[in-house]
Amino acid sequence: MLFDVELTPRKEIPSWIGYITPIATILASLLVCSVILLALNVNPIKAYEMMFIQTLTTESGLIFTINKAVPLILVGVAVYLPLKAQLLNIGAEGQLLAGAIVGTWIALNVSLPTILLIPLMFLGAGVAGLLWMAIPALLRTRFGINEIITTLLFVFIAQRIVSYLVRGPMQQPGGNFPQSASIPGVSQLPEVPGLGVSVGILLATVLIICVYIIINYTRLGYEITVTGANDRAAEKSGISKYKVYLFVLLAGAAFAGFAGINEIAGEEGRLRASFNPGYGFTGIPIALLGRNGALQVMLAAIFFAVIFVGGSNIETLLGVPSEIIGVLQALIILFLLTAEFFKNYSVSMSLKSASKGGPRDNTDVEGGA
Amino acid sequence: MSNDSFVEMKSITKTFPGVVANDDVSMSVKKGEIHGLLGENGAGKSTLMKILYGLYSADSGTIRLDGDTLDMDSPQDAIDAGIGMVHQHFKLIPRLSVSKNIVLGKREPMSVFKTEPDQTDEKIPSSIISHPVLQWIGSRFTLGLEKPKSEIQALANEYGFDIDVSTPVWQLSVGERQRVEILKALYRDVNLLILDEPTAVLTSKEAERLFETLSKLTEEGVSIVIITHKLDEIQSITDRVTVLREGEGIGTVKTADVDREDLARMMVGRDVLLEIDSEQVPNGKPVLEASNLYADDERGVEVLSGVDLTVHQGEIVGVAGVSGNGQLELAEAAAGVRGVTDGSIAVNGKDITNKSTRSFINHGVSFVPEDRYLDGCAGELSVMHNSILKGYKNDRFGEGLRLDYDSSASYAEELVEEFDVRGINDVSEICAEELSGGNLQKLILAREMLRDPDLLVASQPTRGVDVGAIEFIRERLLAQRDEGTGILLMSEDLDEIFDLSDRVLVIYEGEIVHETTPEEGSRQRVGLEMNGGETVSDSAKGMTTVAADGGRSET
Amino acid sequence: MSNLIAGLTSTTVSATTVLLLAGLGELISERAGILNLGVEGIMLIGALSGFVTASATGSYWLGFGVAIIAGGIFSLIHAVLCISLNADQAVSGIMLTLLGTGLSTYFGSSYSGASIDGFPDIAIPILVEIPILGSALFNNAATDYIAFLVFPAVWLLLYRTNIGLEIISVGEDPETANTMGVNVVRMRYLAVIICGAFAGAAGAHLSLAFTQIWSGGMTAGQGWIAVALVIFARWEPARLFAGAILFGGLNAFQLFAQGFNFSVGAAAPLAEIINPVLGFVFNPTIMSTYPYIATLLVLTITVIRAENRELAQPSALVQTYNQQGE
Repeated sequence: MLFDVELTPRKEIPSWIGYITPIATILASLLVCSVILLALNVNPIKAYEMMFIQTLTTESGLIFTINKAVPLILVGVAVYLPLKAQLLNIGAEGQLLAGAIVGTWIALNVSLPTILLIPLMFLGAGVAGLLWMAIPALLRTRFGINEIITTLLFVFIAQRIVSYLVRGPMQQPGGNFPQSASIPGVSQLPEVPGLGVSVGILLATVLIICVYIIINYTRLGYEITVTGANDRAAEKSGISKYKVYLFVLLAGAAFAGFAGINEIAGEEGRLRASFNPGYGFTGIPIALLGRNGALQVMLAAIFFAVIFVGGSNIETLLGVPSEIIGVLQALIILFLLTAEFFKNYSVSMSLKSASKGGPRDNTDVEGGA
Repeated sequence: MSNDSFVEMKSITKTFPGVVANDDVSMSVKKGEIHGLLGENGAGKSTLMKILYGLYSADSGTIRLDGDTLDMDSPQDAIDAGIGMVHQHFKLIPRLSVSKNIVLGKREPMSVFKTEPDQTDEKIPSSIISHPVLQWIGSRFTLGLEKPKSEIQALANEYGFDIDVSTPVWQLSVGERQRVEILKALYRDVNLLILDEPTAVLTSKEAERLFETLSKLTEEGVSIVIITHKLDEIQSITDRVTVLREGEGIGTVKTADVDREDLARMMVGRDVLLEIDSEQVPNGKPVLEASNLYADDERGVEVLSGVDLTVHQGEIVGVAGVSGNGQLELAEAAAGVRGVTDGSIAVNGKDITNKSTRSFINHGVSFVPEDRYLDGCAGELSVMHNSILKGYKNDRFGEGLRLDYDSSASYAEELVEEFDVRGINDVSEICAEELSGGNLQKLILAREMLRDPDLLVASQPTRGVDVGAIEFIRERLLAQRDEGTGILLMSEDLDEIFDLSDRVLVIYEGEIVHETTPEEGSRQRVGLEMNGGETVSDSAKGMTTVAADGGRSET
Repeated sequence: MSNLIAGLTSTTVSATTVLLLAGLGELISERAGILNLGVEGIMLIGALSGFVTASATGSYWLGFGVAIIAGGIFSLIHAVLCISLNADQAVSGIMLTLLGTGLSTYFGSSYSGASIDGFPDIAIPILVEIPILGSALFNNAATDYIAFLVFPAVWLLLYRTNIGLEIISVGEDPETANTMGVNVVRMRYLAVIICGAFAGAAGAHLSLAFTQIWSGGMTAGQGWIAVALVIFARWEPARLFAGAILFGGLNAFQLFAQGFNFSVGAAAPLAEIINPVLGFVFNPTIMSTYPYIATLLVLTITVIRAENRELAQPSALVQTYNQQGE
């Protein structure tokens, strides 16, 4: 190569980068996506207009968006909280399914008035999600086994358990389809009176506020933040890594469980074998986009909600395969990863010159014995 | 320098930001000699040899090998010139066998592909096999292990290594692994072998075997440089020794002409009569009683072997020692950050052996760790976050679950004010890693000291800190002592130890080998003990008198 | 009964091929220290590109070749992100799967459900005459034979070539390898591209040989099983081969077990307890969790056993499965 590409780690990260990054990422993804749209002879401007403008300016669009934002906020936090401690919860999808299973079971088998039943369903779902994370959390805290692969394996197991249950023990009695019975009306999530959106949004908002308060106003939040920034120094300062890790993993998993029952008690109405929302994985780019705070997580979740709702609109109206949403999601992650790199390194290119100063390896810059 | 030098390093100067590692250092090594390179930590020994090995390039000066001037750009150049280096941390891949470790990177093809007359097995005529495409294929898609393996095994047998080169490295002991490192150098036809603190990880038996091997090598004409701080090693096997101190070359002497005291004096400098102007506070009750401590290092190797240590209220106990002899682990054990495998630790009379770090903190123990970035702070978090790292559970920062960042910020501002930490306009905006080394260290000290600890463990508190900050930190340590805190100070800087301590201990190979006071002790003697000099019997400990000319007399 | 065994074996062979190809590729990448969670997505890219090429040109061999190349190129994204840009390997891999799945379904929508004439079964003379198993084992598509040859090839590559030695060294201790003159970056790129190429081949096998159709998401999680398989095999090709047969066989067994009723006679002792348990254990859906559970167990046991902790996994596998005091 004629050029010397020099990568110097940035000493200070200019604060404007923190704001520009999410926006630049989204713009870049939309740009690349438009190329993909063009490849199928779809006018990207038209598609985006439909996806964003129409979704946000019509009442039904707004309602759908807010409802769709609920599970996304929940899984976003499910990934965000462990991320604060530098853990990656890839298994939110599995915890979501666990929550869906138990929540549905409660809905189908427990007779209580709505005001008691729904909280119980959510409680059960949260506990289910938490339990689904218990083994990976234990393996991580006790043996250092990376939570990425363990939570991922549990996702696949959860998917199959759902499939088994709706074809067997939880199958609609007398039915032939791989699905559970419909949950009774008393267990369905009501709407906020007058607004037309699901009450789920209230739960999601409350949880976001709780997480925000915990991280920013409590000692536990402090411990989580320090552990995430430097776990060695945290441990040597008396902070219990066990406690921090277990808390963020289990709490995050519970939130994912909430997302699961939210879907069943909302749009789905029953547990189907085809219930495979994939939100658990969407939680990853949401948490990455919003890694600076709970509020940003909420905004990122809403953004993805717009994409999802808008995406199914353009599928219906323009015939664009809905997979474009998945593609857009993936592109956002891709550009986020790229941006992360440029955030930490400044790149400069120069013509190759013979330089003979400085240490050859990076190990010993401060001089040794 | 004599003309039969094999390797000559002349007027080597090398600076890193903020420090002159080598200042016009010259050194020469004769063919077939074992040459020691002696000095304390920070003297510049490793840097000098890394320059020779091509890992660094000198700012000025020349290197000559057998008369030719060398241009070292990379370790490959050094290897080509016949220089080999055995590092302190072995560069071996445990999963692979000895022979695979040694041939790694050479891309030796199977013998079918070889073209040199003495190597080819002539199955395919060399006119065909030397075609570049075939050579390309051979070097990548085959593995020439047969011949090298037998060569390496022969080498190993020749030096009495008793290693089966098919053995995977993970099965080998530390001493055996070191021999593999030497084999690596030998296999590449080494003329000069550099060993960096080779006995740091060996038992005495293994060390003996190493010395035998080195002698054998010199009989074959290989020149050897040993970097070490251990005086007994210098005396046992070197022919000549070059001493460095604080980046400067002090001199080269014939080993037979000097004794350990001479060497220690060269390493450490002359005695200076000290003005001790700190107030003497009467010692109170013990705040730290460590008894018969045993502990392991990161790799599970025993590094503390029965340490007894007491620190009283209002006393500074300075522990002198060369890094690698256990002071890091001792400091961490005393602070409750590292567990001990045997022995006990009592703080203020309460036995809290192996209790949690939190427990130690609650019992009034503060800790300034050696590596401030890795262990002492969370770099990407603000000064405010870092200020309350030990104290955040305190009620003044909020009740119950709540953490009040406002009072944390004002506390941080107090710390900054008290300890003159510069470069901060807003404690909650500036990140810890944005502070200069000295200022960060002051912040950490502020945090650890201002919580009024009973015991303060400070490990290398002024390392890598600018001069102004060093003064400040030392004054504060004394002030803290005057307020009644017991301080355990680890330092490689003998000046610092002598300036600040009420009592001086020396640690060597995991044991406390010497105890004295600044008034009664001599820097030479301490320097000697730090490097494994003769440990005098108990009755003579602390009874060495100081003479102005650096001479030594014993009662 | 012999038909049953033949059928089971035949299905096992095809199921094994997919896992073998994808798994060996992932093994090479992880031995070099790079975790590639994008296998599922790359396989789909391979499946689609192979199918489209074969449809357009009529040549399934060309399709196979294109799929391999497409897989290699697609995996470059992951390589650049992880090796040159130091991105989080897990996130990058998942992104690759999302991207591959999305793109393949998106662009493949017009081909959905279409079928082509793919690889025909080729019988190996003499061997195919072996009673019962002969027709199952020795009458398969070229891609099956290729996969079974790839296994010894990978073994030889890793353990008997300089490239293999360097790949292993780079996944164990890149700094040491670098000191010894190995080009760490180049070796890692090579490993990831090989992984992509193999995954592409596995996908092509699915669309051109196994099923000879295209449908969105047709890999149905086999890419993930391949990832689990590498862990289950503890990064050894021979164990991976055995594991692929095991998991493939399990897959095949599931399909056959659908029609069966596993039970002991009602008169047998404890029948009321045993029968439901058997029904559960042999339930096809439940059986499909066994590879994952087995992998979890192997992973846990391997890491917990103190002995050989150095060898539990490629030491430099970033995002390793065992983080010791990092």
